Amino acid sequence: MKQSLRQMITCHWSARRIQRYLDADPSAPLTPGEVAKIEAHLAMCEKCTQTAAEHLALHRALSHWPGVPTPDAESVDRLRSFLGHLPEEDAR
Amino acid sequence: MTEGQNDVDSARTLAFREQVEPEIEVMLRVAMGLTRNRPDAEDLVQESLLRAYRALDRFDGRHPRAWLLTIVRHTHLNMQRRKRPDPVGDWDLVRDSRPAFGASSQPSAEDAHLDGELSEQLSDALSELDPRFRAAVVLVDVHDLSYAEAAAVMGVPVGTVMSRLSRGRDRLRRRLGPQTLTPGRFA
Repeated sequence: MKQSLRQMITCHWSARRIQRYLDADPSAPLTPGEVAKIEAHLAMCEKCTQTAAEHLALHRALSHWPGVPTPDAESVDRLRSFLGHLPEEDAR
Repeated sequence: MTEGQNDVDSARTLAFREQVEPEIEVMLRVAMGLTRNRPDAEDLVQESLLRAYRALDRFDGRHPRAWLLTIVRHTHLNMQRRKRPDPVGDWDLVRDSRPAFGASSQPSAEDAHLDGELSEQLSDALSELDPRFRAAVVLVDVHDLSYAEAAAVMGVPVGTVMSRLSRGRDRLRRRLGPQTLTPGRFA
């Protein structure tokens, strides 16, 4: 009983941090202690491991998703070329 | 103009180019989300580059992408001040866009799954998201911006991005379900 309550609390704690753990974004890093605690929990909790796998799959699907417009190479080249003319543009 | 002034301009332009050139593509992608068309996006980035160049002396050299994206957002608001600003990642632009150029012509089985059925379901699920959550998800997961960079584009604190991102992802994950996201796992 005690053990399953502890497990539930750890699941809740991990669920609140799992995205930050997977993103590893420099704006919101987890402490080394938090990382160790999440990794230990993932090693023994099938439910949270499944949640992490779904988050990873979702991120991968979104990063491959073809539904956003991609800049065409000519636009990028024109803007790169514009960088060389900034002093003249600035003087106008 | 004196020769000395030319040297100063050249050094300044070179320093600016080094900071900014790697960020042009992401600026353009974000600008396309804001303006909803390619010519306006290019104009917006061009105007933003000029503003950034003029503000270079006030830039501390840290996080150039976040700095530039903040300028893109401010420039866009300025250019649109007589119109109602569009939310970032407008759905019409996303839905009507063509597939990314340069995509592999022979995708792997996993890529085929991502590009096929899952991609369609993902489009539907994204279209049902609150626009604020969708913007956070598109900027971070699709455009690969950091939390701070997405915050710069959205004009909100990093904590707000994290909250919207978390809620958006959770709704997408639940909407798609484990059978779609991780087929075969834990069967």
